Amino acid sequence: MDQECCWNRDVIEKDDCPKIGQGEEDLLALKRQRNLEKCCDCPRFMKDLKSMCDDNNPLAPVLIDFLAEYSRQKIQIQSLVSFLDNKTLEMRFFHELGSVLQSSVDLDEVLSVALTAITAGKGFGMNRALLLLADRETGMLSGYLGIGPKNIEEASQVWDEIVQNDMDLQTLAQNFRLNKLSSERAKFHDLLEQLTVPLSNKDHILIKALDGKLPIMVESAFQHPDVPPEMARLLGVDTFLLMPLITRNRRIGMIIADNCITHRSITEEDIHSLETFGFPVAFAIERASLYDKLQIELNRVTEAGKKLKEQQDLIVRMENMALVGRITSSIAHSVRNPLMIIGGFARSMLKNSPESDPKRSFIESIVDETDQLEGVLDEILNYSDSLYPTRDFWDVNQLVETALSDSADTLTSLGYATGYAPGHDLPPVYIDFKQLSYCLRTVLQNDINVISNDLSIVISSQSGEDCVILRIDDHSRQISQTELDRLLVPFSETRDLGTGLGLALCKTMLEKQGIPFVAQADVQDGIRYTITLPTRKEEQP
Amino acid sequence: MSRLLVVDDEANIRLLYAEELKDEGYEVVTAASSSEAVEKLHEGSFDLAVLDIKLKNESGIDLLQKLVKERHDMPVILCSAFSCYKDDFSAWLADGYVVKSGDLTELKQEIARVLAKKAQKAKTGV
Repeated sequence: MDQECCWNRDVIEKDDCPKIGQGEEDLLALKRQRNLEKCCDCPRFMKDLKSMCDDNNPLAPVLIDFLAEYSRQKIQIQSLVSFLDNKTLEMRFFHELGSVLQSSVDLDEVLSVALTAITAGKGFGMNRALLLLADRETGMLSGYLGIGPKNIEEASQVWDEIVQNDMDLQTLAQNFRLNKLSSERAKFHDLLEQLTVPLSNKDHILIKALDGKLPIMVESAFQHPDVPPEMARLLGVDTFLLMPLITRNRRIGMIIADNCITHRSITEEDIHSLETFGFPVAFAIERASLYDKLQIELNRVTEAGKKLKEQQDLIVRMENMALVGRITSSIAHSVRNPLMIIGGFARSMLKNSPESDPKRSFIESIVDETDQLEGVLDEILNYSDSLYPTRDFWDVNQLVETALSDSADTLTSLGYATGYAPGHDLPPVYIDFKQLSYCLRTVLQNDINVISNDLSIVISSQSGEDCVILRIDDHSRQISQTELDRLLVPFSETRDLGTGLGLALCKTMLEKQGIPFVAQADVQDGIRYTITLPTRKEEQP
Repeated sequence: MSRLLVVDDEANIRLLYAEELKDEGYEVVTAASSSEAVEKLHEGSFDLAVLDIKLKNESGIDLLQKLVKERHDMPVILCSAFSCYKDDFSAWLADGYVVKSGDLTELKQEIARVLAKKAQKAKTGV
């Protein structure tokens, strides 16, 4: 029998076998291996086998059966190897995904990884993925993030980029988060906003998938009875997969995945893999959300702790101040009675002594000094009162009119003319009325010595932003700004200008209430005091 | 001549008030404590009382309440080393409030004002 095939030769040339390709030259000298790998598929060998059959060789039909079975099993093994290779890749992918997801507690990072995994070629290779999150507080399933190209041009560009850079999943996700997250958010903003559905809408297909806790493969979406037409129109695809994200029995959210660009069909295997993928993603999202909440609570607790510490410090300070106040008050009381007696009797003696009495000037000195000390005593007592401002909302006009009324006798006796121009629709101001009254009286009656001919004081008020501005223009006082500034410093030596102690106390009192007090002097025009009264209740400074 | 009762635990202050107010034309009777004041009130009538708020271990405010209850036709002026009692609700029962000072002008003005008001009330009933 003439043989067409080289199967029976130990060594052959390359042209002898049509099945041996480039890189398989070693088979030329390996007869057994060549027979097993190449001959069973070779038409020349089949021809030889047929000739053997024709020559009634009894082994030929048996050999044909063996070859058919061998070919079948070979195909099956190749299929299994391919399946195992795929599973190995999938396992590696899940391992990588799991490692990345477990290491992150940042919600955006988790979501970036999850959506990148669905759309990356190394992952599930879907064209587009949309993530919706369930919010129990609002009772809504709301679109949160999307990823994927909008058209074929963008798709080609993105995929080329991925192929060129050959990045692993974590790098891809990091790249997405840093460079694409904001733009993808903006790109899918409108679509995601319209994909918001109340969790109570049990008839909606998204909620059905979520409640059913199983993926739903939607085909013929535009004709699908459960898919609202506006949702099909929004997604713009006929086929998509709904993958609920569930942890224990909690509804975390939903992934909508599709192949809107390539229109590749979504296989059962894709669905199964995505279902497996859904569990760690749901847990990672829940963990990241809980971590966010924990962080917020931690910040609250830290803030509360800080406030508590401040309150404790304040209580200690107030206790100290109360003690100081009680001591000051007690000393003042003990001092005032003897002072009153000395001053009172000195006045009495002065009243009864003749003008020619040489000792009269001594008594006058006693009267002056006791007056001075009584003034200091008033300042001390007022200061101890100022340690505890009691603030409330008050009418500015009432405040001004009370101060003017209280000062009327003194000012009239000195020949002063006063006027008040109230602003329109003034809101109530948040002040300690008693302290503000004291300050206004002090400003009106302050005993700066240098007096001009113009004995007029004009008060005006006007509304400002969250405040009422009160201006007191005292035209009677002629003093430089430097001298006025000295009067505003407590316990500075200002006797040459008059006692003037009150102004420094006023400034201190007002500043304690967070009320700006500005005094501007003009040697020609007098002094303008500007007090900015708050109209909003704010925390004590 | 109006008759005044001055109640203060400081002897020198009583003396000062007595001298100064006598010069103003008033008849002045002094008391060092609440109990002494009540005794004087039983002995005769007064047109006005000047009370110190701090009376050693007693309170002038308590005496004020007693006087308002028992002698509601007699006006009372509180005189104290503290200005803070001016805002004390219980001190509002008094007809006047003066912070102690070596210059008794304010006290004298207040006494004159309150007595004039009392006289006006007696005359018109308002």
